[in-house]
Amino acid sequence: MDRTVMLSVENLSCGYGKTEVIHDLSFQVRAGERLCILGANGCGKTTLLRALAGVIPFQGSVEADGVSLGGLSPRQRAKKIALMSQFSQSAFDYTVYEAVMLGRYAHRSDSLFPSESAADRDAVQDAMRRTGVWELGEQLVTRLSGGQLQRVFLARTFAQEPQIILLDEPANHLDLRYQAELLESLRDWSADGKRCVVGVFHDISLALAFADTALLLEEGKALACGSVGELDEKLLDRLYGMDVRGYMKRMYGRWE
Amino acid sequence: MRMKIKIGTGMKMGILLLAALLTLLFGVGIGSVYVPPTDILAILAAHLFGRALPEHIPANFSVMVMDMRLPRVLLAFLTGAALAVCGGVMQSLLQNPLASPFGLGVSSGAGFGAALVIVLGLASAGLGTFLLPVVSLCFALGTVFFVLLLAVKLDRRMSNVTVILVGMVVSLFCNAVMSLLATGSPAHAQRIQLWQLGSFSMREWGAVGALFPVTVLVCLYFQRYAAELDVMTFGEEQASAMGVDQRRVRGRLLTAVAVLTGTTVAFVGIIGFVDLIVPHVVRRFFGAAHRWLIPACALLGGTFLVLCDLAARTLTPPHEIPIGSITALLGAPFFLYLFFAGRKEG
Repeated sequence: MDRTVMLSVENLSCGYGKTEVIHDLSFQVRAGERLCILGANGCGKTTLLRALAGVIPFQGSVEADGVSLGGLSPRQRAKKIALMSQFSQSAFDYTVYEAVMLGRYAHRSDSLFPSESAADRDAVQDAMRRTGVWELGEQLVTRLSGGQLQRVFLARTFAQEPQIILLDEPANHLDLRYQAELLESLRDWSADGKRCVVGVFHDISLALAFADTALLLEEGKALACGSVGELDEKLLDRLYGMDVRGYMKRMYGRWE
Repeated sequence: MRMKIKIGTGMKMGILLLAALLTLLFGVGIGSVYVPPTDILAILAAHLFGRALPEHIPANFSVMVMDMRLPRVLLAFLTGAALAVCGGVMQSLLQNPLASPFGLGVSSGAGFGAALVIVLGLASAGLGTFLLPVVSLCFALGTVFFVLLLAVKLDRRMSNVTVILVGMVVSLFCNAVMSLLATGSPAHAQRIQLWQLGSFSMREWGAVGALFPVTVLVCLYFQRYAAELDVMTFGEEQASAMGVDQRRVRGRLLTAVAVLTGTTVAFVGIIGFVDLIVPHVVRRFFGAAHRWLIPACALLGGTFLVLCDLAARTLTPPHEIPIGSITALLGAPFFLYLFFAGRKEG
């Protein structure tokens, strides 16, 4: 099966100040694909996402749907790639509707009194229905539970109408049901046309259940990249420095 | 569903505008001698359109309104508008509802400059009325510039925590130097202290002429960045990923805050709490979105400070209460109330 390459990363290096965290990394993600990035704490997973999302600068080349990110303005880049990060809460009383509408920033032009277009409203409504937060529209984001808030931010990410969604531990602090719903709506989203998802997950079993390909990251370098089904478990053991299968068996044995 | 809210917001803004105009009118009218609103309007018409002054209005009313009360009330309104808007913007930029533009070192820098002018004896000369605001504005901007430079040096991403901490350290240092200057010359200590509490007395059209264009331009500049400000309240990382050129926008807005706050401090001294309370109240009635927050802060901030100034000059005649004491007396308990009331509900 030969699908379009949606995200192409070549020789990417990035870090903070003089400390390089990611070294010379290359990988590709195709349309409809869900890639999970696995690795021990501090191996550079979040740093990689931040570079791809334009939060920190990088060296090397990144192409989104055939367009090099280097030449894009922040707004143009945001129309291609969205990031759903772990920490994003406002201290101020925005309504859920307003918060999701902010996802449209990249699609709007500068003006003294900007107005919402019909396309903006449609995208926001569609995103809110997809994530089941349409009924919460008038509630304040400061009064939501963690699970509701995470769904609102997913709606905002959808409203941004990117082709690539980057996830940084999206399921943290979520109850099982919300976890399942969140990943389900992301799966639906990614299956629809020229889209793909790249996610960092704390929980390996969750990651492997959600993704169809995995990138194993060891100290900022790619250890392996390939289909989840063909993943070499010895590499996983090396990545986490322990017997992963044995641990999972002990952990989840009671459900079998 | 959304339409209802929009009409509501427009209505609220209309009510606020009406309240502001009435406050301005009565602010000019009330004083040692009461001038009725109709007389004020007639005097204004006489000056603006060259109409003849109606005979029943004494000539000294005209002088009092045009030369004393109107510039003072306008100065109070502009200052309140400027401080409230800067407060709102600063809180959004630092994602902290307790942040204040004075936290950047604006006030302590300006205070340091003013103290220097006063202690060196330059303030009493004819030159002083001009020198004091100019020097303190320069010191205010210099201090903010130094704070931002140091913040970037320490942390290239210029995160909120760095800006707040550096601003605090530099402010405390400037305040210490100011205290040293005051202790070193007890003769000037009282003048320095009074300057710190702020005042609208002895102000002329010159100050209004300087503050008006700066306030209007900077507020329009903030309005232009309303969408960016909304996005940025949800976090620096998220704002970048959503397409906001975060570092550049933040640098520009912080500079604009410094210019506007610095200008007000240079002319009227340090007036606290307006920047904290007004945005807080406005968010309760208008929500957090900046396209409403900015104009509503300007109107309510201006109205609030005109009322405070009215109290300052009429409560204890013939003495005036320093305006900064009034805002602090009203502001501190009100702020505590708002803060704890908000906590309990949440």
